[in-house]
Amino acid sequence: MMRTAAGLAPSSSPPLSPQVTVDFNVDDGNYAPGDNIRARYRVVGVDRHAVTAIEQSVAWYTEGKGEEDLGVILFERKPLERVEPEPASAEPLVGVISGKLPPSPLSYEGVIVKIRWCVRVRLFFVGGRDFVSEHVFFLGDVPVARPPEPAVS
Amino acid sequence: MRLPSFFSKKRGERRTGLPAWGSLGEAIYYLVLLTAGLVIGGLMLTGVAVSEWRINNQFVEASGRLIGKGLARHTTTDIFGNRRQSWRPAILVEYQARGKLVRSWSSGRLAETSSQRETAIAQLAQWQLNRPVSCWYDPDNVTTVVLKRGYNWWLWLLTLLLPGALVAFGSSGLLHAAGGWGRSEERQAAEVWGLLKRLTRGMPEASGFPAIPACDNLVNSPGTVLRFRLPTESPEAWTLLGSGLFAGLWNAVVIVLAIGAGFDVAGGRADWWLLLLLAPFTLVGLLAIGLFFRRLLRVTAIGPSHLEISDHPLRPGGSYEVLLSQAGSVAFRRLELRLELEEQATFRQGTDVRTERQVVCSEVIRCWNRVEPLPGTPFEAELQFRVPPRAMHSFHSTHNTLSWQLVLRGQPDHWPELKRVFPLVIYPSDTTAAMGAAPVSWHSGQGAAS
Repeated sequence: MMRTAAGLAPSSSPPLSPQVTVDFNVDDGNYAPGDNIRARYRVVGVDRHAVTAIEQSVAWYTEGKGEEDLGVILFERKPLERVEPEPASAEPLVGVISGKLPPSPLSYEGVIVKIRWCVRVRLFFVGGRDFVSEHVFFLGDVPVARPPEPAVS
Repeated sequence: MRLPSFFSKKRGERRTGLPAWGSLGEAIYYLVLLTAGLVIGGLMLTGVAVSEWRINNQFVEASGRLIGKGLARHTTTDIFGNRRQSWRPAILVEYQARGKLVRSWSSGRLAETSSQRETAIAQLAQWQLNRPVSCWYDPDNVTTVVLKRGYNWWLWLLTLLLPGALVAFGSSGLLHAAGGWGRSEERQAAEVWGLLKRLTRGMPEASGFPAIPACDNLVNSPGTVLRFRLPTESPEAWTLLGSGLFAGLWNAVVIVLAIGAGFDVAGGRADWWLLLLLAPFTLVGLLAIGLFFRRLLRVTAIGPSHLEISDHPLRPGGSYEVLLSQAGSVAFRRLELRLELEEQATFRQGTDVRTERQVVCSEVIRCWNRVEPLPGTPFEAELQFRVPPRAMHSFHSTHNTLSWQLVLRGQPDHWPELKRVFPLVIYPSDTTAAMGAAPVSWHSGQGAAS
């Protein structure tokens, strides 16, 4: 499953609405435990000289009624070199994150607890502002959980 | 000019923000707490500790004589205008200091202060006039003298409790803020807090299976027939413990109040408000004792439940044998054993931390109607059950948990419903774990714009 963060970067100051596209190496974004994930991302609509670093990660997090828990399986931070003088550049930023997925936790769609897997691309801009784009994929094939119906006596 | 926004904005799957501001605000908050703790601690130490330390280390010993005694009275007024008085023994001592004869009052320690004048008078009685005593005077001010030395540890503990808590809370929060300074949550999880969490993990993790609890505590008790005997998580045991603690503590308070009231009555000073208060307190205490013994009787009458299982941890699609044993002399109208998956989510609500539970899978393994006990023989049943082939595995993280459990529910005659829980750990299935690596090929496309 591919998600695209859409939006156009403003021409002045740090652009805050870059477009991030992530392509997974499986067509439906469904992985099995132990699979190799390889996600290629492309960031457009941003002046690359305004970006100081990119962080790419593969992580799981919980959603639902409880507070969010986060587990990061793959993480890489890439500081971008800055060259003076800096002419504006609309050249897209591209990158790849790859690695082996663990056997757990599997993606889970429960009632008050949900577990999601995602690729996150986080851009850090000059001035300290950041922008994160999240692209969900699925690990395993666990059916959606529903509360059991009350027993009929 | 555009001002920085202090909070991040979330638009669908995208978020923008200025994380440094968040970390700065957090750091300032904890710094204020730490500073307050240090300042209050410093004041407490200089007020209590330094004076005690000087008495024990710098005061000069001298031989003296008691030449007078009396009570030092201290009057305070609270915010409602009520005046309260307290008394301390005060002793007039005559001693030699630097070649001069000095006479000075020593008013004893703070711990000797009493709100009862009679108590202070009783303390005063132990000092006999004209008796030679050892005393210690301040070399910087020879008129300051004490008749006792030593450290008052409980006073130190009490005075340092609040600043200690503030310093601990503030410094740990400051460390947390410093760890997160300029770092994204993914980076923190991967670097700083990943390491800390591994060091301080509450529940051990199964080897090779991230976020799945280890089942070491579930397989350390061998069964008599099957391989493992499962431990019980019985809500009624916790209820019994809770009601026992409540009954004990409540009645201890009632007894203390009753003794105080008894002494007052014996001394001819009946405090009617205290006596009126004692009546409902005693009633609640008696009810708590009655409730505790009723629960104790219920637990002992129903008897213990044992469950043995043929293998552990479990796998989706696997079949397992269980042996259920229910002792006791109570007959059940209905008894059933279920396999359940319970979601647990912990969250903050105001200043409270709450945990919500939701059963999302409940399959009856076996149900019995009318179970009659045989004298001296527990009810026993050997069963087999299968874990659903696509079942979710057990999961545990800091605030969220997925717990598989075997639940024994019963409706005993003349007693409330019985529920006993036997926790299980289910790993992901072997087949999904062994599916191996998918071939690398690119499938590009545009998803839904968020």
